Amino acid sequence: MRPFRRKGDVLVARLVDAEAGIVGLLLDQLEQLLDADPADSGGDPVLARLLPPGNTSDPAIAADYRDLTEESLRSAKADDLATVRATLPPEGGDVRLDDEQARAWLRTTNDLRLALGTRLGVTAETEPPEDTAEEEGSQLAVYYWLTAVQGSLVDALVAGRGGRR
Amino acid sequence: MAGPLAPAWTPETTTGEESDLDRPWVTIVWDDPVNLMTYVTFVLQELFGYDEPTATELMLQVHHEGKAIVSSGPRERMEHDTNRLHAYGLWATYQKDA
Repeated sequence: MRPFRRKGDVLVARLVDAEAGIVGLLLDQLEQLLDADPADSGGDPVLARLLPPGNTSDPAIAADYRDLTEESLRSAKADDLATVRATLPPEGGDVRLDDEQARAWLRTTNDLRLALGTRLGVTAETEPPEDTAEEEGSQLAVYYWLTAVQGSLVDALVAGRGGRR
Repeated sequence: MAGPLAPAWTPETTTGEESDLDRPWVTIVWDDPVNLMTYVTFVLQELFGYDEPTATELMLQVHHEGKAIVSSGPRERMEHDTNRLHAYGLWATYQKDA
């Protein structure tokens, strides 16, 4: 991976074949999760983290909030996911994003990190894996790889913002 | 038993309700182990228009104290703010100011 950098009006990164493949698979999994019937997936901790309650002490406020916002939140996430898929070179190569597409990448890579982090039980003390051959080690390696991608995109967006002012 | 001249409502209670209504609502961001510090600062600037030092201070408050109030106002606006934070994956809730 060559991290995101701003080049004029666009943000550019380069992914190798295997990296693009992993992102594509993760997008499929996230899409399935977001498409799931809320009634069937009510207890899923990942979905609970992606579509969190608006209030944790008053069930009436939480229910109001869910009624008002859950559908639009799900569809906004689905739109972001579609943008990432459309700008991801399936066999690897350059990812080129305008500022709006970059925000879709930010939100979706964050959702993927939240999903993986929740599944793997990531805490503030978690460190990058030493053994990536092991199943959990390889998933944690993907989590840290996504962290690097997202971190470089934040930095590139912040740098651009400073330059424009 | 209340006589015909007893008040139909208790002034104290009404006053209490009024001040309860006057209390603003707040949106709170909570610490979580996944969201990057640079990302949280970026999102707070992006959504609320905070300058970089203010957004950084709020982010650090979330990080060190576990939570920070990032906006306050009418309930509907706090619902909206919470929703925008959830779209970015921040862990946020809204409530009446304590």
